[in-house]
Amino acid sequence: MAAGGSNRSRLLVIILIVTSLFLITLDLRGVSVTKSSRSATQSFLAPIQRGVSDVFSPVGSFFSDIKNFSKTKSQLVELKAANARLKTQLVFNEDIKGQLAKLKGVLNLAGRGGYKVVAARVIGRGSASTFSQTITIDAGSTDGIQKDMTVMSDVGIVGIVKSVSASSSIVLLMSDPTFRIGVRIAGTQSVGVLFGQGSSRYQLELLDTSGTIKDKDILVSLGSENDRPFVPGLPVGYVVGVDKTTGTLTQNATVKGYSNLNGLGVVSIIIESPKGDPKDSLIPKPTPTATIYVTSTAGPDTTTATSSPTPIPTASKSASKAKK
Amino acid sequence: MSWSRAGINALLLFFLFIFQESAVSKINLPITGFSLYLAILLGLMALEDRFGAVVLGFIGGIILDFSPSADSPFGKWALVLTLVGYVVAVNGESIGDFTKRPLTFVIFVCAGSIGTLFTFLAFGVLLGENNGALGHNLVMVFGNSFWTLLFAPLLLQITIKWRAKTLTSRERA
Repeated sequence: MAAGGSNRSRLLVIILIVTSLFLITLDLRGVSVTKSSRSATQSFLAPIQRGVSDVFSPVGSFFSDIKNFSKTKSQLVELKAANARLKTQLVFNEDIKGQLAKLKGVLNLAGRGGYKVVAARVIGRGSASTFSQTITIDAGSTDGIQKDMTVMSDVGIVGIVKSVSASSSIVLLMSDPTFRIGVRIAGTQSVGVLFGQGSSRYQLELLDTSGTIKDKDILVSLGSENDRPFVPGLPVGYVVGVDKTTGTLTQNATVKGYSNLNGLGVVSIIIESPKGDPKDSLIPKPTPTATIYVTSTAGPDTTTATSSPTPIPTASKSASKAKK
Repeated sequence: MSWSRAGINALLLFFLFIFQESAVSKINLPITGFSLYLAILLGLMALEDRFGAVVLGFIGGIILDFSPSADSPFGKWALVLTLVGYVVAVNGESIGDFTKRPLTFVIFVCAGSIGTLFTFLAFGVLLGENNGALGHNLVMVFGNSFWTLLFAPLLLQITIKWRAKTLTSRERA
């Protein structure tokens, strides 16, 4: 390259770097032009994202479905046989059904807590331009959404509203490394801080020096002043491992979140919470399962199925009789 | 690079940005997401001279700064991609014609993607941002470059054809 051209490009680099630094300074000093430009982009992108979301929603979880294929193989076989004739409509129907089920769960949890919520569909996820973990939802300021409102799924907390435009909002997920939430161990009054780690696992630091953490301890949100950004009593996660290292004043633990942040289709934004703290009433309760034992009877070709809530070892005796 | 070509490329990058934000980001790829925008931008910069690469880097950065989910200050991507554009062009000159070396192009774009994301993180540290855990960031950077490595061979033909179509008769001569 000629020396003239090289000098020209160097000068250009310097000019553009100075321009960039000028823009960064403006932004850090809180000039509203840069902030409003992003808000305008969000308003512009929201309808496009909403449209694309309908097409990409089934494709979006394609790879995670492959990852979990072995777990759902038997379920898939059953579904395949039943839905063969509806193959063309299946993708969209299943998607809508899934969203409805999630919405039902979200409204159920919100109803138990007495929260006034606005339901929203997830229309975007993350971005190419940031390392932070976010989702875009199709509800904005016209729906009553404001910054720093709590966002929940059908099983617990999801994150907080980070920015709002007229028809869409960006939610900072609780898995983001910058996310912090005050939590309480259900059943005790021990409080701590939960840190996002970039995955479905979280780090819990207990603030109470005399408090102890046990495996499977359930955590609920502690709540913030005026319920912003966090409402109290929402299930957050449960302890899966306690840090045994000595030398720290308080105990630490690894926590697994209740909400599956990779499979969010519908969420709710809490716009109003009840006066009192719902305490531990929103903690997910284990569903009772019925165990079915198949017992062979005297006849060589007949078998009867009995259902029992507790395992009773009767099968072996009856089976040996049948052999005789 | 002529100003008319810079305008056409800016338009392409703008549509790519919309596609990335509304469609590509929706796909939950294993490991981490893929930035088609960054891969194509790096591919275009690699085929340009210094002046063109720097201009493209700045325009591409400004467009990326408009991303509503970005939590970094406005202008940070412009700064990073201007510098990356310059480095890419200087190194590209020493390598020569990428159109005759497809494998070099793929490796170059992939390395450029790693370099860009690390520079972005480094500037974040300088500006006092919380980038999160190092391990998580490493997974994000290398995951993105893995997908770039897979898709770059397809992008080579697209970027070469796009560039050939947008070249002015004066630039062709």
